[in-house]
Amino acid sequence: MPPIIAGRHKRKVRFPAANLQPPNIISTPAPAQQRQSQQKRPGNKYPSPLKPAKSGNPSNPPRMASPQEPRPGIPALFTQPPPIRDPLVTETIELQDATLEKCLDFLKGLHISQKGSFNASGVPALQRDDHIAYLYDSLEDYPEGFVAMDASRPWMVYWALAGLTLLGEDPTRFRERVLGTLRPMQNPTGGFGGGHGQISHLAGSYAAVLSLALVGGEDAFSLVDREAMWRWLGRLKQADGGFSVTEGGEEDVRGAYCAATIISLLDLPLALPHDAKKAREAGFETLTDGLAEYLSRCQSFEGGISGSPGVEAHGAYAFCALACLSMLGPPEETIPRHMNIPLLLSWLSARQYAPEGGFSGRTNKLVDGCYSHWVGGCWPLLQSALDGKPQPSGTPSTTVGNLYSREGLDRYILGCCQSPRGGLRDKPGKSPDSYHTCYVLTGLSATQHHHYRTTSSITSSEKFASAFSWHSSPVRGEDNVYDKADRLVAFHPLYVIPHQAAANMRLWCEAQPVAT
Amino acid sequence: MAESYANDPEWANITPIELDDGSESGAMPLATIAYPTEYLEATSYLRAVMAANEMSERALKLTKDVISMNPAHYTVWIYRAKILLALDKDILEELNWLNGVSLKYLKNYQIWHHRQVLISSKTHFPTMPPKEPDFLMEMFAQDSKNYHVWTYRHWLVRHFKLWDSPRELEDVEALIKADVRNNSAWNHRYMLRFGPRDDVPDAGMVNAGNADISPEEKGRLPVVDEDSVDAELKYAQEQILRAPENRSSWWYARGVLRAAGRGLGEWEEFVGRFVDGNVVKSSHAVEWLADVYGEGEKGKAVEMLTMLKEKYDPIRKNYWDYRIQQLGEVA
Repeated sequence: MPPIIAGRHKRKVRFPAANLQPPNIISTPAPAQQRQSQQKRPGNKYPSPLKPAKSGNPSNPPRMASPQEPRPGIPALFTQPPPIRDPLVTETIELQDATLEKCLDFLKGLHISQKGSFNASGVPALQRDDHIAYLYDSLEDYPEGFVAMDASRPWMVYWALAGLTLLGEDPTRFRERVLGTLRPMQNPTGGFGGGHGQISHLAGSYAAVLSLALVGGEDAFSLVDREAMWRWLGRLKQADGGFSVTEGGEEDVRGAYCAATIISLLDLPLALPHDAKKAREAGFETLTDGLAEYLSRCQSFEGGISGSPGVEAHGAYAFCALACLSMLGPPEETIPRHMNIPLLLSWLSARQYAPEGGFSGRTNKLVDGCYSHWVGGCWPLLQSALDGKPQPSGTPSTTVGNLYSREGLDRYILGCCQSPRGGLRDKPGKSPDSYHTCYVLTGLSATQHHHYRTTSSITSSEKFASAFSWHSSPVRGEDNVYDKADRLVAFHPLYVIPHQAAANMRLWCEAQPVAT
Repeated sequence: MAESYANDPEWANITPIELDDGSESGAMPLATIAYPTEYLEATSYLRAVMAANEMSERALKLTKDVISMNPAHYTVWIYRAKILLALDKDILEELNWLNGVSLKYLKNYQIWHHRQVLISSKTHFPTMPPKEPDFLMEMFAQDSKNYHVWTYRHWLVRHFKLWDSPRELEDVEALIKADVRNNSAWNHRYMLRFGPRDDVPDAGMVNAGNADISPEEKGRLPVVDEDSVDAELKYAQEQILRAPENRSSWWYARGVLRAAGRGLGEWEEFVGRFVDGNVVKSSHAVEWLADVYGEGEKGKAVEMLTMLKEKYDPIRKNYWDYRIQQLGEVA
């Protein structure tokens, strides 16, 4: 059993300060310490973890347990460099080569730091207890070097609770502590800030609402001032249909996804509140008017989806946009109506690299474990859209099947992303953090389940019926490369919490309508 | 901050609002941070002046102090922008200071929104501050794919209508020359050439976001300047020749042809140079041919997709299988 931290016993988390670095895709903060070590240094163009490896350098001896031969059970696809290589070397290729070099020993199952037993597919076991201990630790005290996380504490709570839930732990034991932590972050004018006295932010509010859903119960649900939340969302709604993330802050696709999540989980009124000035002037009547059209404008010529119109396609925003569209209506209607599907499929599929097996967030960027969720999480939504109208029964409908390589992703996650002392990471050579731990595990869980919808929804409301009609069943088959013991809990593919947690919050809120 | 606010006469009339970490509820708060004393004190004064919506010099100084300790504190940036505009401060001086902060904290994105808020003030900046492109190139020298900087640069183009500014294209070309795989630079080039101009809402492609237009039509220009299209196609071919296995340049070319409403077929001869029997120099060329053949010669299209599936891009096997199956359904 992992250590349980209880009572008022406090201890320091064990990871060093410079390492807790979520790529700030959806989180608000950017830790101050990061990157300082990456300032220009003469003769060292790259930060050390990415410095291109030189073969035969005596100061850099190979750290392999044995010569190059991979463990049995690993296809050559996951141990050989790609078949075509351009002679022209640029920075992109240098970084890609260095990453490949770092990953190969892990993919072959040969790196000295890899723990536990390897199965017949040559894949190491999930170090479940280590990850559980890591996440429990991540809920306790941080040293002062973590001050940059001061605007992201709702996230710290969500990432740890979500990760623990995936690993089979019971998050409800944290209910009182979650309520105590989040209460001072809520503003009387609606929404949650990143901490006490900080203005409300859609990302922080999203993390807070999901954390409350995870611990569940009337006390948690009633903590949210839903009427004030609704009014605040009205003030964030922009004339182009999207949402800014704070009053006076930037507008992007995160905002759209976080807002749709909050509106649908909390059963907020759809009608625009009186003081939704910009949205009313634009002729909108509801919080969701124009939102899908805004997302449509975020599809780039590559086919992927960007953070705001006109910018480069990016995996994290692709998930936010597709999940938001899948809340706004049945994905087989909303996604083809607003996205060019062939372009989107091609771009999304190209995010998976070999031999790494993991996903990159953008064209010509490196694989990163967190995209196991942001990119991996797009697949069930797109596949469901392609499958068309759901079947009445509870059994999975006929399906286009699975359009990416589950095996590749599983190998990357279990082989490359597990940190030797617990926690999961971006890639070998990086330190773990709770952000990556949460989203790498979410990605692993998604590979282990079929996500499908039926015609019955837990909500009787028409608007979000589809969003609450998702089910999951375990993927069974000979070709799974992970062991039975490494199965994780299934998450709702839109809300990124267990299905039941989403249903409980929605149903409780439906029973207490917001007075407008 | 050497001196504390509590001992400073300038702050004597302010009652700081202490941090409420929720521990009064009796439950131990989660994910707490052992804040440095100076940070705790400064943020308690920040809460107090923000509660009073104070627009003053001392509040401005306080925001700088908090930023120096935690630049990821989004609240303090938004408050600072309000004060700067309310007190009509020298915005160029603010930009100079921001340049240093931006270079120090490369991944921070509060800074970029702050910059956008300030520069969007038409009274201060009827035209773009002339040194913006130089500073952005300095940022790109540190990280040529920095998403926040590119997002900001895209906003600059829209805001100051810089689509045809020679400097924009020069910078993009310099970055692509330095690294032909810089996809962010390719995206910027596409937006300069084929993105929506100021008579329509911003979008990644023209014809997007209008419910009456099918997503199939996204990216297709209503009026095409064929000379410009031909020049872009020539540029793309030159870049493809430098590195044939580079997705960025191939997909740029696809975007150009889509914008012009021209098919992939016109490149069949060029593309064929990269797929010569058993010698394949580019998986993107194979995919291109599959798309060209898919229009009529389905057997050959399947052959191309099978090559991708079996040899050149097998991690995407399920996707290639789906594409093969789609061909069957269409046939």
